[in-house]
Parts: sequence; structure tokens; C-alpha cells
Amino acid sequence: MSLPKRIIKETERLMADPVPGISAVPHEDNLRYFDVTIEGPSQSPYEKGIFQLELFLPDDYPMTPPKIRFLTKIYHPNIDRLGRICLDVLKSNWSPALQIRTILLSIQALLGAPNPDDPLANDVAQDWKKDEKGAIETARQWTQQYAK
Amino acid sequence: MKFGHVFKETLKNEGFPPAWVESAISYSQLKKCINRLTTELAAVGLTPTTLGALLKHVEDYNAATAVEDEPRPFEYILSEQPGPGSDALAHGRAARKPFHPKLLFHVSEATGELLSATLDEDTRKKLQMLAVESGISDRRVFEEPDADRKSLACHETTHVPRPGNGAPRQRPGCRTVEIPLTSDSEFFAKLAAELSGLEALQARERRDMHTQIEALGKQVAKLTDPDHRSNRKILAVWRQIFQAYVESGIFFGTTEQDHTAHDADKATVRFHEFANKIASTGLVDKLKKPENVRALNTFMNINREILQGLRFGEINRMAMMKILKKFDKQTALGVKASFPAKIEYPEFSEHLAKAVCAEVNTQILAHVPQIDDYSCPMCMDLKWRPVKLRCGHTFCIRCLIVMQNEKQHKCPLCREPTVVDANSDNLDLALAEFLKKWFPDEVKAKQKYNERMAGIDEYGEVYDGKCMVM
Ligand SMILES: [Zn+2]
Ligand SMILES: [Zn+2]
Repeated sequence: MSLPKRIIKETERLMADPVPGISAVPHEDNLRYFDVTIEGPSQSPYEKGIFQLELFLPDDYPMTPPKIRFLTKIYHPNIDRLGRICLDVLKSNWSPALQIRTILLSIQALLGAPNPDDPLANDVAQDWKKDEKGAIETARQWTQQYAK
Repeated sequence: MKFGHVFKETLKNEGFPPAWVESAISYSQLKKCINRLTTELAAVGLTPTTLGALLKHVEDYNAATAVEDEPRPFEYILSEQPGPGSDALAHGRAARKPFHPKLLFHVSEATGELLSATLDEDTRKKLQMLAVESGISDRRVFEEPDADRKSLACHETTHVPRPGNGAPRQRPGCRTVEIPLTSDSEFFAKLAAELSGLEALQARERRDMHTQIEALGKQVAKLTDPDHRSNRKILAVWRQIFQAYVESGIFFGTTEQDHTAHDADKATVRFHEFANKIASTGLVDKLKKPENVRALNTFMNINREILQGLRFGEINRMAMMKILKKFDKQTALGVKASFPAKIEYPEFSEHLAKAVCAEVNTQILAHVPQIDDYSCPMCMDLKWRPVKLRCGHTFCIRCLIVMQNEKQHKCPLCREPTVVDANSDNLDLALAEFLKKWFPDEVKAKQKYNERMAGIDEYGEVYDGKCMVM
């Protein structure tokens, strides 16, 4: 099936008018599959880190949300070891009016505001609640080590 | 090359209207004022070197605000006439208040000594002579028994400088001496008058552009009127031209990474990109009829005029900054650094460009609706056929059918459960009429697509294959 106009338009805009700190480039042989990078927000433990993600638009997009996960190892209470992200707009709160760019912005915001009360990575969330300072330091170290 | 020369050449060669050139900052005359002022200052021993040393002293003084009573050797004050100066600036057209610059020295009442250790003997002598010439002090000095400087009291009776921002602080035990200068008043009066002139020019230019833009807007509305079938083709061409214009972001960036006002250089580059684009994609050729070509020429000329205004504003602003820098360099009076608020350049070019661009949008571009304003938030294609939900949000019927099939009951925009009970009674007929009129080609294309997708719904993916024209 040919690529829906919506995906073409979203891709065009992502290329022509990229969001600062975020890039999303479709694969040449599969225009529904994107290589994504997100810069860690300043004043967060992920600052100066460059995180790789993969994003896939399922056949029934935008009825269902894009599938997205981190490829870069990251220490974050809402992101698990496999890079899966716990974010309401990617699940129950998805709306077909949301777009790739709005989702990526939400993920960037999640890096700036970790939420250990709604964890995906339980062990990380526990560390985070027990010793926030230590957890932030670990997140910073992981960023330096992996997010280059 | 010297700036004076560059400025003169730019004014001559950029093709500005003569009235503009006449209103430009008279850089060379202001330069002569400065030369005369230098002579006046030298006559009382104030060479730039001397004044520069004094200025340094004043800056140190200002920096050390904690030490209130440090002797301040001199002050150079640019006081405006009392009055709502900032209001006058805000309203733009009001004439600027003339400046009354004053160069003031302070001498000790008790000894007649100048309150500065950094003056050389010659200057000191000359200034003391001036102090004597300007007469006996009007102030009476009361010395406290335990006389340190802080407890000296001093009552001023006359010769009190006008109150306000520019008033020098009262200082115990000293007398204020004003150095008689005339060329500086002349300099600032001239500069202020020229700034007012530039503001008036801007207002005139704005009115003139308004008339032109309004007339062109009416013309474009006539040329693209979809009620005349013969205009349909040309409507699509104008739409593409205006879309290219908006996307070029000539005077203001329209992307996430560039959303500021552009300077004349950048705007010129963007303008040429736009001109090349509509020529190379054949849009200009498609206009055919002479009245359409004329309208496009007028549109291009309006944009060129905005560009020129931007350029003219920029070089005048530059001329003002340069002449003030020269003033300071040759007199060491520290005007540019000390009084930036009072001699701020009027926002000539940017204001004009902003106002005129806004008019181009509302008066010209608005006559030709763009598809992005009528696209469905789901498929990002034209909202055909438009269905208005109870919550007030509109989607194309095809997307609503898909949502209902997928049991997506909530409106994607507001999450109200309004999708579930929508049906063809909710068709927005007025909007449908409008879209058919303004976007005939797009409506046809979308209709075809919808039919094809409905076929797929009914017969499955195979249907798609059958319809393919290979
Ligand atoms: Zn739609
Ligand atoms: Zn709604």
C-alpha cells in the first residue's frame, strides 16, 4: 500500500522545520521506520547526552500510536532496560491528532522530568525514591558513558 | 574605507527615493560639529587625553556606588526638557525634546581647588580661571566642628541644576562650574531633529504602503474570484505563489530554528530565493493574462520597498552609532556608554517591515485561502467531506468512518465522546460549498481517494490492485 499523505506531510515537516534538539530521519527502504536522536535537556542529568531511538509507524497509524524505544542505554525510572518508554500519550492517552514531533517533544520533556511514582523500570524508580541524589548521579554517569 | 564614505555611496547607489536620502542622518555635518566641539574643549585645556583620564575616574566612581561621597571630578549631562519623554518616543511622531548637554566641574568651596587629582597643571589652571570668571559661589558653607568631609553641609540657593534624572548630585562644600560649550548642543539638536525626521518619514511611508497594499488586495480578490469559472486555473497559480511566499519566510523566520525578524541582507537573499522559485517552477509563466502579471509585479515591488526601508533604516542606525562613537572618541565625554536610553535609535525599519508584512497578510494573502487552513487533523489532507462533531471539531468523513470502525469514540482534538454518534447529518454543508468553490481540484482528488478507500473497505486490498493504472 502506498504511504498515506499524512506520513508524507509529517516527514516533510520534520525535515524542513526540525525541532531543536531532535532529529528524525526515515529509512530509505522503509519510510515508516525512523532513526531518531534526542539531545538530553539542559539542567537535567541527561544534559549533553545524545540518545538514539527507533520509531515505527504501524499500518493503522494514526489510529494507533507510533512504536518507539530507546536504543541508547539510559538510567531513567520511566524507561526500562529494553528502552521501552512509560508515557501516557504513547498508550492510553494517544490521540490521532498527535504527531511524531509532538511525541518526540513529550519524550524530551520526560528526560527533563523523571517520574518515579509512575515507573516502568521498577528497580530504577526505587533507587530514585530512596536516594534521588545518588540516582541522578548514576543517570549522569550513564549519560557520559553511553549517550555519546 | 571610512564609514562616512561608505554611507554616502550607499545613499547614492541603492536607489533610495530622493526624499529618503534627504532625511538621512547628515553624517558629515555632525562630524564637523564634533570638530568644532573638540576645538572648544581644547581651548579650556580639555584635550581628549585629559578628558579620557577624567572619564575613567568617573567610571570608577560610578562602579563604586558604595562610596557615596567620593569626589567626582566632572559630569557630562544630557538632560532633556522636563516632560513625558518616553511617551513622546512611544508615539513616534511626536517631536523629540531637544537635548541640553552640560559639562559640569566641581571646585572645592573652601579652597577653590578642583576636585580632581588627575588633571595636569595647565588644565587645572585654565579650569580654575573659568571657575573664578563664573563668579563667586551662591552657596553658603557651614563647617561642622569635627570637620571631616562627610559632615560638611552645603545649602544651595541658586544655580541649582534642574531636577530630574540628569541633575548632578548635590555635593557638600563644593561649587558647580559649567564649561561654556555650544557645539555639543548643536550636535544633539541636529541629531534629535534628524531622528524626528526619520520617524515622520516612516509614518508617511507606512501610509503610502497601506494605500498600495489595499489596492493590490482588491485587485487580487477580483483576479481570483472563484465565482467566475474562468478564474479557476489562475486561482490555483496565485495560491501556489502565495504559498511559496509564506514558505520563503522573507522578513521573518517561520521555522522552529528561525523565528526572528531578518535583517536586510538575509531578507534580500530570501526574497531572491522566492523570486527564483516562482520563476523556475513556471508559476510566473502560468499567469499569462497581463493584469495578472501586473498584479504580481506590484506585489514584488511592495516587497522590494519593504526591503529598501529595512536597508535604509539599518544604514541610518549604523550612521548614528558611528557618529556617537566618534563623538566619544574625539571628546572623551562618554555619551554613548553613559546615556544610551536617551539617544536610542527609533525602531525605524523593523517596525515598518513588521506593520507592512502584517498588512500584506491580511489584505492580500487572505484573499486566497490556503489548503493548510482547511486540512483534516487526522489525514492532513483537505477536509472533504467535512463533518462537524458536537464538540465543534471538524474532520473529513473518511477519517470519521475509520475512527468509528476502530471503535475510537473520542474526538482526537478534545477527547469528548463525540465521534461515536456522528453521522452524515453532521455534514458541514456551508464549509463543503466553500471548499468546492475555492479548492475544486483538491476536492476532486480527495473524492477519488475516498471512493477508492471505501472500495478497499468493502472488497479488501485486491480492489486497490484492480484500480491501479499501470
Ligand atoms: Zn481526514
Ligand atoms: Zn472535539
